[in-house]
Amino acid sequence: MPVDTTTCGFMALRAESGKPIQLAMQQLWLQGRILPFGARLIVRHVFRSGETQPLEVIYAFAMPRDAALRQFVITGEGFRVRSRLKPTEEAAKEYEAGIQEGHLATLVRQYGDGMVNLTVGNIRPNETVVVLLEVLTGVEAHDAGLRFRFPFTLAPSYHRGARTVEFEPGVGEIELPEEEFDDLILPRYHQDATGLHEVGFSLSITMAQPIAEVSSPSHALRVKMGDDQCRRVMLSPAREVPDRDLVLDVATRESKPCILVGAGKDGRRRFAALVPSRAFGETSAAPRHVVFVLDRSGSMCGIPIEQAKKALAACLGVLAADDEFGIVAFDNRAETFGSGVHKGDRRSRDEAGKFLAAIEARGGTELAQAVAAAVKLLGHSAGDILVITDGQVSGTEQILGGARAGGARLHCLGIGSASQDRFLTLLARQTGGVCRFVTPRERVDLAAVDLFASIGRPIASELEAHIEGAEGGHITPDPPSAVFVGAPVILFGDTGQNGQGQLIIKWAKPQSGRLELPLDAPDSGLGETLRLLQGSRLITDSDSRYLGETVERALDRHEQKRLGDRLQALSEAYGLASRRMSLVAVVERAGDQPGDIAKTTVVPVGMPQDVLFGAYFRRSSGSPNATGAFGFAPPMVMPSPSLPCDRTPRSASYPIAHAAASTVSRISSSMRKRFRHGKPVEAEKPLETALGPEDLLLDLAQQLEPDGGMPGKNDFERVVRSLVALLAFLIEGHTTTAGAFRTHVQRLMHFLETSAFGSLNTQQRRSLNDALEWIKKGNAPPWKLDDLLAWEETEALDRLMRLVTPP
Amino acid sequence: MAKDAPNERQTLAELAEASGVAVRTIRYYIARGLLPPPLVGGRGACYGGAHLERLASIQALQSQGLTLAQIAWRLGEGQPEPQLPQPSAWWNYPIARDVVVLVRSDAAPWRLKRVRSLIVQMAAQLGSEENKEESDAR
Repeated sequence: MPVDTTTCGFMALRAESGKPIQLAMQQLWLQGRILPFGARLIVRHVFRSGETQPLEVIYAFAMPRDAALRQFVITGEGFRVRSRLKPTEEAAKEYEAGIQEGHLATLVRQYGDGMVNLTVGNIRPNETVVVLLEVLTGVEAHDAGLRFRFPFTLAPSYHRGARTVEFEPGVGEIELPEEEFDDLILPRYHQDATGLHEVGFSLSITMAQPIAEVSSPSHALRVKMGDDQCRRVMLSPAREVPDRDLVLDVATRESKPCILVGAGKDGRRRFAALVPSRAFGETSAAPRHVVFVLDRSGSMCGIPIEQAKKALAACLGVLAADDEFGIVAFDNRAETFGSGVHKGDRRSRDEAGKFLAAIEARGGTELAQAVAAAVKLLGHSAGDILVITDGQVSGTEQILGGARAGGARLHCLGIGSASQDRFLTLLARQTGGVCRFVTPRERVDLAAVDLFASIGRPIASELEAHIEGAEGGHITPDPPSAVFVGAPVILFGDTGQNGQGQLIIKWAKPQSGRLELPLDAPDSGLGETLRLLQGSRLITDSDSRYLGETVERALDRHEQKRLGDRLQALSEAYGLASRRMSLVAVVERAGDQPGDIAKTTVVPVGMPQDVLFGAYFRRSSGSPNATGAFGFAPPMVMPSPSLPCDRTPRSASYPIAHAAASTVSRISSSMRKRFRHGKPVEAEKPLETALGPEDLLLDLAQQLEPDGGMPGKNDFERVVRSLVALLAFLIEGHTTTAGAFRTHVQRLMHFLETSAFGSLNTQQRRSLNDALEWIKKGNAPPWKLDDLLAWEETEALDRLMRLVTPP
Repeated sequence: MAKDAPNERQTLAELAEASGVAVRTIRYYIARGLLPPPLVGGRGACYGGAHLERLASIQALQSQGLTLAQIAWRLGEGQPEPQLPQPSAWWNYPIARDVVVLVRSDAAPWRLKRVRSLIVQMAAQLGSEENKEESDAR
């Protein structure tokens, strides 16, 4: 076999000839710059034809959050041509005319759900063509840094009308209904991405504050230091396979308002402002009205569902008796915990614990039903909905419409590659909530607890922003309706040529407040980038409201036409593509001849490494092909109702999983014994799920009583246990304002400070007060968590008092 | 497929308009073998009534929930598609500059152990021979 197998372990070969498979797309390389407000990227696609006839290549990809396509440049031997932005119908006609004449033609067209087809037609045999596509995207901004996510592969998505099949072993196909997705063509999904095109990246990062760290939970990085606020990050190995998204985390050393200013190409002064949530004050102590919406679809099977359940149990631990909560678990259908919301008392929480324990992963992802059920649970009271999902769903525009109409505030925690960053961001933003994303290598439970600590009690609401001291100033899009801990406010706007003035942000609740931010910063040279990022935000929002003009009711059609026209106007104003405007280029090469019909091929993608292939594609014994070694599954409305789960639900054997419903009498030595000498957890678990401090803290978090203290037989026992629990959180860096368990710390502090404790004697009261004063000064004991939990409570107390009042 | 009279022939754009299927999708169907190539190639490429009928059949089968792969099988009049053999994975041991040993990865553990031990011996033997050749050459 004429194949060099000594240099690589695997190579995709044609079965009939043994020759290597010719990849129509050989490389996808990401370059560009990440800013605190978004990113301006160039995606380099290298296409090469190994065919003997003209080739038409289709590459399908999903847009990141708040993304818009600006332009592409297509280069090859003797040519370099820039795309033009045209109404989609016109662009498609121009593309087809070019193909008909034998020219090299390229079309970039966006469809519903932020899906895109990049089509390059008439690539000649052995010709190499490079398409450089410019993309503007948003980032997940935090008070002190950001998370950047870019899809290197495409996750399959759930749609009621989708047709799926395992085309050959380990290769699946999905087709979406044409009436919704027009002529969108999706790729084949390869369970094993080895042998597909290579991917990589080289990105620069510029922040407004000094950078503390750049890291990635998805890829190995090489980081080059620039000045304090700049870094360059590259993929550490030479190349990677397309089987997961790129995720970058940038942490800054400081968290304070920043404004970038620059002149746009239109001559106006553009600005973008990032205001950390802490600039708006502190969280109020108003009662919470929260409904948890938990995705229990088949793809959550195993660790994700167990972690999500634990997270919910820990979130319940924060609730006070006057808080109200509800739970919706959904797959193909939505199941609720009771018929309404429940008080956060012990009894309801225990019942909820039983409801959670019975949840198993199965079925599809009918998010719309679940959101509707959650809105119904909240009834007429304003409240928050926390959605925890790993599912990618199609038809998102309809779901968004339903959620907006529901009137509740949705907060989203997306888990893993299949979670749709663009959709979940829109879902949260358009309902006034916040959105977070965790990779499969991170802990879902801590992320959920952290997000829950922020929601329900906005720091500020009824925001209004305007510009003073400069004529003709605009701020678009509108500021968010509410601000939550950890999620900064980002504003884009512009003033006249010489306008400087001040950006004024005002809010009415819980207490009125006002911020003044001067717009007199020196020109950053990024004016045009700021204008484009603003445009991509506006276009993404507008696009998500546009359902197309084939809706049934005439009134809706009229409204959709209006939305479509607005979308087109935005596209033209900002020079960015949308569903109404596409990018097209036709290259007339020397010797082009109208001739053979181009052979159409679709670039395959790797199944995201954390997504179960069997959750979307399955083979069937009832194959129509009776004689083949394998056959096609029957038409399947995915995902399958009962999934063969190859991710062992290891967490089911965690002692911690049962802790919420139990009334643990001791949290010290007995707790330690449970973890060290209890069930044979270590033998069953892989290394990455070994119990860590976070598991112990989650267990403590679940045990908080509705009054905020730990359980106990009498006042003294409750005080001592609550103090030990508080110390455990402090030792691990969680305080009243920082860390995922900050709400638990606040509740414990509040309990210890305000409860009457009638049976404590004077000495005990004095000790408690001294300890609290010491803690409030920002002190934490220099102990290890393991040691603290190994001691008897009284020993821990003695040691604490020796720290608080040294001899 | 029945032969088409010349006056029934149409261009790709006309076929797309008549069928309601996008031009690019028609090319995709041809590449997948769902639709036959044009009756006449080159600049005057044209399609007949049979192409239109086939497109209508594809749409009807899609509305029944069949995938393109299943439709290809159905329209192929029951002829089984060429089947790939089941893939198998192999361990690749480059044991010398010019020798590679391939071992099926799903071999029984006891046999893999034995094979690995033989490979180690072979690699050692070849290594010592290479060293000897190098020293002789010097």
